[in-house]
Amino acid sequence: MSDRVVLMIGTKKGVFVAEAPSTRRKFALRGPFGAGVGVNATLVDTRGATRLYASSCNPFFGMKVLRSTDLGKTFKETKSAPAFPKEDGRAMANIWSLEPGPGKKELWAGVEPAALFRSGDGGDTWEKVPGISDHDHARKWTPGNGGLCMHTILRDGNRVHLGISTGGHYLSEDGGQTFKASNQGVACGFLPDPYPEFGQCVHKIVRHDAAPGRLYMQNHGGFKETKGGGVLRSDDYGRTWKSIAKGLPSDFGFPISVHPQDADTVYVMPLDTSTRSCPEAQPAVWRSENGGGAWKKLTKGLPPKDSYFTILRDAMDIDDTKSPAIYFGTTTGRVWMGRDGGEKFECLFDALPPVHCVKAAVV
Amino acid sequence: MPDVRSALRAVEESHPHLYSSICDETGAVRRHVNLFVNTLHVRDRNGLDTPLVAGDVLTILPSVSGG
Repeated sequence: MSDRVVLMIGTKKGVFVAEAPSTRRKFALRGPFGAGVGVNATLVDTRGATRLYASSCNPFFGMKVLRSTDLGKTFKETKSAPAFPKEDGRAMANIWSLEPGPGKKELWAGVEPAALFRSGDGGDTWEKVPGISDHDHARKWTPGNGGLCMHTILRDGNRVHLGISTGGHYLSEDGGQTFKASNQGVACGFLPDPYPEFGQCVHKIVRHDAAPGRLYMQNHGGFKETKGGGVLRSDDYGRTWKSIAKGLPSDFGFPISVHPQDADTVYVMPLDTSTRSCPEAQPAVWRSENGGGAWKKLTKGLPPKDSYFTILRDAMDIDDTKSPAIYFGTTTGRVWMGRDGGEKFECLFDALPPVHCVKAAVV
Repeated sequence: MPDVRSALRAVEESHPHLYSSICDETGAVRRHVNLFVNTLHVRDRNGLDTPLVAGDVLTILPSVSGG
């Protein structure tokens, strides 16, 4: 069978799966699964037979993990979901990230309150990863507006990068056994000390296999005292960070994405700090093709004005077809696709529930 | 004397998956779950220490709300 493009769209009222041939002319929509329950994280696991995962963050009955083995035609709960041991004293509030681990069926989950969990059996059983979950800093992290969440998990051999809001960027170089805060240059404009060891409100971090050591970060910018501190780049595995925000209309935003075939091409959606919508209510994706040295505004096909939606931290992704399209979902329930890396946008779905996250994969 | 707390403990032992939908990891009853002994909400009696006697009915009733 030829390649198919699959989108997992996590929303306030469940997860949807959209599927299209690689031309992406028309997407068929399935769902919602876990209907009525918020989904903050999804994963298309293409190791072996494709499996789809979604967190089902139920404020009534607690956390569940949903799994599909038929490309999102049906989902079932896994046998258990991440849960803190009784003696820990913390209670699970949300699951914010799901990522493949190094083992064949291994999954990692970043949760709220910020902690990391590991499953060795595809999500049926989970254990807390103590190196970060019980870190000396863990009880000193504080919640941002979205809660105290571990939203980013990036693996690079024995290196593991974690993003915590608000906690900052943490780096492990021993496969996740131990972690150190690694935030030199990451601004924290809302604190008296704007460059603390930890406590930054990091919004999202991405990397590319072809550029070892390089990371891009969307941080909580928008402060004139730490101007430019919202969009950052590291070239030394996250030890130090520098601004790449010059040329953007705002250094505040939530998502950041890197092109799957070009480590120098990175995307952000700058937002106004007060409304958390695009500056002047005019939606735009901004693309840099030289690692953040210069930015181009991409608006073709998007509404020209009067748009006050927000794009949340995990609501933007790029597929890995020959000519990748970029996708983003809005808090007003729209999902947009920008062909040719964002050159021309079209609305795929215009009346979904508020979109929390979008993942794109070729299967 | 048995009470609501001990009844929940019995649920935890016999139906752990159900228990995790009623109480979080700390043992606290989830925010949207209501417990009634007969017709009275336990918050209007003695919370989880509300005693149970033979013939009492403990009802576990989630709120139906949202938007």
